[in-house]
Amino acid sequence: MAERPRQPGPDAAGELELIARCRSGDESAFQELVDRYKDFVFALIARTIPDRARAEDLAQEVFLRVHRGLPYFRGEARLTTWLYRIVSNVCVQEHTRAARHPSPPAPSVDGGPGHAAPSAVDRRFDDLELRDRLEKAIAKLPPNYRLLIAAHYLEGVHYETLAEALQVPLGTVKTQLYRAKQQLRRLLEDEIR
Amino acid sequence: MFCDEVLDAIEAIAAGELVPDGRVASHLGSCPNCASALAHARTLEQLLQRRTAPRAPAQFTARTLTRVRRARWRNEQFVDTAFNAAIGLVVLSLVGGIWMLLERIGIISVGHEALGLVQGGVLLLAQRVGPTLPLYVGAAALLGCALVVWWWAERAA
Repeated sequence: MAERPRQPGPDAAGELELIARCRSGDESAFQELVDRYKDFVFALIARTIPDRARAEDLAQEVFLRVHRGLPYFRGEARLTTWLYRIVSNVCVQEHTRAARHPSPPAPSVDGGPGHAAPSAVDRRFDDLELRDRLEKAIAKLPPNYRLLIAAHYLEGVHYETLAEALQVPLGTVKTQLYRAKQQLRRLLEDEIR
Repeated sequence: MFCDEVLDAIEAIAAGELVPDGRVASHLGSCPNCASALAHARTLEQLLQRRTAPRAPAQFTARTLTRVRRARWRNEQFVDTAFNAAIGLVVLSLVGGIWMLLERIGIISVGHEALGLVQGGVLLLAQRVGPTLPLYVGAAALLGCALVVWWWAERAA
């Protein structure tokens, strides 16, 4: 089974209590929040931004915005929904910034074929070249499609969460995801024969 | 035409979110293009599901908390500076207002004469004290030394 960071548990009451503790200025509560959601946020960003150092920087930026925004978070939506929305904004801003100031390609977070220590999951991938091509093809997708694909394949992220975070109907999320995959399939059609 | 309809649904079928009905299923059985597209979509689906999701680095939480603390400190510094600047502006406005009020009433001219008197007094004092200034400085230095020795002795005890 592949390594897939889970969307943090569905304990809404615990989530609200954690947020309340954060809002009261309890630093250990905020540390708990970061610990609980860091893999979710980092995986989303790292699957969209290939530069690992930049991905970490942006993930920290997300938690910084969470810290700033906590007093205004009313708890009407799940925390993951809010996090996804912040990640989405951060990634779009990063894409705009990168378009203005292009930099040389950085090593991928997932690691290319020459990556030093592949995980057990990586070893299950028979065709490293195909995986590399998949990453390259994903990098060619528009940022919103990239993020959708990144989020959808994280365990526990449902269409409903994405629809709520993006403030679009459920059908639109599904359509966009199908289109993203269709585009990806076309980009990869020769390789996956 | 029917191929287009089937191809539109390929991703949903490959993801297992749509079960092809009889017409679509028979088309997939007879059209090599659509069957190939479905096979590719299924392979892609598997690749995406097996795609590794990187985990946050080991020191991520600590680094994030440091950044949050730094940002909060900067924010507090900004608030402090803004508050001090606001207080300074208020004091300046008050002084300016009082000055304008005094000038309007006519007390300022009296103030100018008083200032001249103080300046004259300071000059006279400087002229008288000037020649004996080294003596006073020497006495002050001796007194300072004595105080330092006393403080040192007290500290050592």
